[in-house]
Amino acid sequence: MDWTIWVEWLIKSLFVVFALLTGFAYLTLYERRALAKIQVRIGPNRAGWQGLLQPVADAVKLIFKEELTPAKADKLVFFWAPIITMVPSIVIAAVIPFGPTTTLFGRTIVFSVANINVGVLFLMAVASIAVYGIVLAGWSSNNKYAMLGGLRSSAQMISYELSLGLGFVTAILLGNSMNLHDIVDAQRNVWFAVVQPVGALIFMIVTLAEVNRAPFDMPEAEQELTAGYHSEYSGMKFALFFMAEYQKMIAISMIAATLFFGGYREFWFLKDTFLSVDAIWNIGPWQFQAWFLGPIYMLLKVVVLLFFMIWIRATWPRIRYDRLMSFGWKVLLPLSLAVVFISAVGVLVAQQFDNNWYLAIIPIFSSVAGLVAVGFVDQALRRKSYASH
Amino acid sequence: MLIEYIAIAVLLVLSTAVALIAVGLGTIFGPQKKSEAKSMPYESGMSPYGEGTRRMPVRFYLIAVLFILFDIEVVFFLPWAVVFRQLTWFGLAEMVIFITILLVGYFYAWKKGALEWE
Amino acid sequence: MATPTTTATLDLAARFPGAVSADARPGYKGWIVEKDKLIEVATAIRDEFGYDHLTAVTGVDYLPEGKMEVVYHAFKTTGGPVLTFKVQVPRVDPVEVPSVTSIWPGAEFQEREAWDLLGVKFTNHPDLRRILLWEGFEGHPLRKDWKEAFYEEDAKPFKSRWPEGKHVMAEEKNPFKDNINFPKDFDPEQWVPEGEAALYGALARYQVQEGSLKTDHIVINMGPQHPSTHGVFRAAVTVDGETVVSLKPVMGYLHRNHDKIGERNTFLQNMPFTDRLDYFNSMSNNFGYAVAVEKLMNIQVAERAEYIRVIMAELSRIQNHLVFIGMLGNDLGMMYTPALYAFEERELILDIFEAVSGSRMMCNYYRFGGVVRDLPEGVLEKIKGLVFERLPVKADELDRMLTENEVFVARMKGVKVIDAENAIRYSITGPVLRAAGVPYDIRRADPYSIYDRFDFDIPTRPNGDLMDNYLLRLDEIRQSLRILQQAVKQIPEGPVMTGKPQYQVRVPAGESYGRVESPKGELAFYVVSNGKPNPFRYHVRPPSFVNITALEKMCVGTKIADFIAILGVIDIVLGELDR
Repeated sequence: MDWTIWVEWLIKSLFVVFALLTGFAYLTLYERRALAKIQVRIGPNRAGWQGLLQPVADAVKLIFKEELTPAKADKLVFFWAPIITMVPSIVIAAVIPFGPTTTLFGRTIVFSVANINVGVLFLMAVASIAVYGIVLAGWSSNNKYAMLGGLRSSAQMISYELSLGLGFVTAILLGNSMNLHDIVDAQRNVWFAVVQPVGALIFMIVTLAEVNRAPFDMPEAEQELTAGYHSEYSGMKFALFFMAEYQKMIAISMIAATLFFGGYREFWFLKDTFLSVDAIWNIGPWQFQAWFLGPIYMLLKVVVLLFFMIWIRATWPRIRYDRLMSFGWKVLLPLSLAVVFISAVGVLVAQQFDNNWYLAIIPIFSSVAGLVAVGFVDQALRRKSYASH
Repeated sequence: MLIEYIAIAVLLVLSTAVALIAVGLGTIFGPQKKSEAKSMPYESGMSPYGEGTRRMPVRFYLIAVLFILFDIEVVFFLPWAVVFRQLTWFGLAEMVIFITILLVGYFYAWKKGALEWE
Repeated sequence: MATPTTTATLDLAARFPGAVSADARPGYKGWIVEKDKLIEVATAIRDEFGYDHLTAVTGVDYLPEGKMEVVYHAFKTTGGPVLTFKVQVPRVDPVEVPSVTSIWPGAEFQEREAWDLLGVKFTNHPDLRRILLWEGFEGHPLRKDWKEAFYEEDAKPFKSRWPEGKHVMAEEKNPFKDNINFPKDFDPEQWVPEGEAALYGALARYQVQEGSLKTDHIVINMGPQHPSTHGVFRAAVTVDGETVVSLKPVMGYLHRNHDKIGERNTFLQNMPFTDRLDYFNSMSNNFGYAVAVEKLMNIQVAERAEYIRVIMAELSRIQNHLVFIGMLGNDLGMMYTPALYAFEERELILDIFEAVSGSRMMCNYYRFGGVVRDLPEGVLEKIKGLVFERLPVKADELDRMLTENEVFVARMKGVKVIDAENAIRYSITGPVLRAAGVPYDIRRADPYSIYDRFDFDIPTRPNGDLMDNYLLRLDEIRQSLRILQQAVKQIPEGPVMTGKPQYQVRVPAGESYGRVESPKGELAFYVVSNGKPNPFRYHVRPPSFVNITALEKMCVGTKIADFIAILGVIDIVLGELDR
């Protein structure tokens, strides 16, 4: 183990931290501008050109805010809770590949901080740490809103974590590996979102719940619990929660892109063209792999996925808490089990007959399962709405 | 491969440093004017009635217990998902039996009303 | 219960000889009921005569006569004018009158208000606490012998404070000493609000008893500083996890004693003051007050002015419902999108208000006998453009955008607000009553102004859930547009005011109860004049305040999120609720 590997780790880590921090800053601007567009207004456009300095202004403002600690709060936990929330939102990005493996400066470079063979397991593990920060914040504030918000979010996050886990299982089944690089490579020909559209959809829904975004933003339900678990936080500690939420959004979009939308790989119709990440470009005397297209594709996909999150926030009301829990337990959990099962059968059938066209049974049958679930929800809602009359 | 985890540790240290610096900046530059009113818990401007941290509804524990039950199932899925191409139909049948046993418990919980939030 | 057993002709004096007599004072109407027979008579009024809806309860302090009078107004939900009956008791403390809450539960808050402001003790009232003032308040301000600090005289117009070109501060001149009079041995710094104890005591019986499953019920204050209580409204809520176990509304944080200030002002000075009640609908408020005083003055309103009044009132209704729909989306957690779409249209209506009255929200536009000035040039065309082209399209757009939003529908459908029977019992008026299926609208049931000339429907919805409340507002927008379309076509030329505009109107002695259908419900003004330039009694019957009486009834057993939505559906405005 020579020193250069340390340099490589440091550079890659710094890159990830930097990317997520700037990503967070500009995601807030992106969200505000996009929301404004949807809501027929303009949004922040005064600080810098097109409001590009707005995140800086926000950060400076928050730094100069007073930080309050409630008298009866558990000081130690109160201090660490935002940090516990924020750190995993960066660390989770460690295993996400953002470019193909390539050779640079005579070294084989893997474009992720760590290329571990149980990458998916790592994602699951880190994703579930985030709930601690929220629960601890809610509990340590000695505030009823915060308490309820923390409880709500813990129950919500663990309920949806099951379906999230099964979503990971679906991707593993199709990719035949727990290593995220392998999963991305397996999507060279076709995205898993095409093979398993229902699985991808469930994954997207569940991730919304996992990052507490609308319409699952129970823990901070402004209309009910003022600000939920971070009611008592101000200044930079509040900023850390804010940061965590947006970085989680980015991270989870990256994960979704990796597992179901081909990750850093080009769009399938660009395969074998010069726009593929595997293409070798010859410019003058130089000959090199177009690895730098990887991060660009990744960014594109993440921006699109983030836009969906913002769009949903602008258009849908919050789902009521009891419905949210029933939805997670009674609909998503059985449906994702069915999706896993159908995927497994499809893969095995294709393997048996050695013909990948048999994989088509996966989207067909899982769509049927999805429709059954939608019908179930529809009927349950109808029953509820007329039961009381 | 194990060496890669050091890279994660590097990232962990870096991100913790970022978080601490952020909090530190706020502590250094933010004003510190403590007052009794400010350190009261916020409850829409009223003095709270009763403790903030107290026994919580038993519903939440029930959900937590159910979660542990099913999370183990998910964890069991993971290794199976990697090797099921080798196990082929036998592995699938095994899994079906496993799921069936779990589903019995699931429907029991459902019928018992453990999944209702009333 | 609401169906009258017989269709008795209304002669209470003949039905209860000795217990009821007709009010014979000049300018007064109604019946005077003996205090001891009140419950019996009230039951008969409800069950025999069919006056199932008690709309207003208030009191008047007749200090010269040494009498305290409690005035009740009831109506039939099948239509027709209001029945007034009164109870007179000697003005000696304790002034006790039996509570009618057992007959009309909707009287609860209004009786509390009468206790708070007038010191009428209602016996057998379930929860007789102060409601608008704080518990430590000394005295009952609407009594005529109560003197307000800092006011040197009882009634406006005050004498000059610049008698010799030198300014005299009111504080120096006022005979009533300090701003606040504390009781003896009272230290405000040490004061613990006993009202809080009473309030939480009222909730305490919902706490879980020892021995049962030990999960705590938590008492949470929603408000006054809360993003979704539409102002400084407060509800102390006991919750079991997510479910509301009990709830007590607390109000008065914005209280300024509108009634008292109204008694000090001259009749005309009250007109701009009504703007501040329901600050979304100053046009409707003006309308109600103008109707009440015109009844007393017995004057005819100029023909053109009637049309202008109707146009403004209906525009006001549309913009109120637009705000309602937008803010309902907000209460459900919709992140302002429908609110901003609705506000876009509202701004156009406010432009018209600004053009005619000079102000967007505090219009102060109506006068006794007409309106203050004619429509400026071009405004009628603007209104025509709005009501014929833009607003119908935009109402449909809002309808499409929200009514087909799955999550929105899932949140609203089947969440019961109130059913028809309880809505009547709890004195609910306005859209909430109609969404429960009762087709009661004052514009049709007891027409005022020129509403009998227009062709429009009273929309109702059968279920009384959140969804129906929302859909009903959309229906009402469309009906208002129908009225507007007829009104802008028919509006005649002519003067906009009967007689000469004057600062001091002469109002003969008497009482009047003028009511209009404000966008939020029945807005009524009970005005008593004794011939002086100031009203002797000026009482507002605000729809928000009365509708909120049933809040506990509506919300117990629902989820916290539904409580917020139900509160949003009642459509309260704090300027009116707290007065």
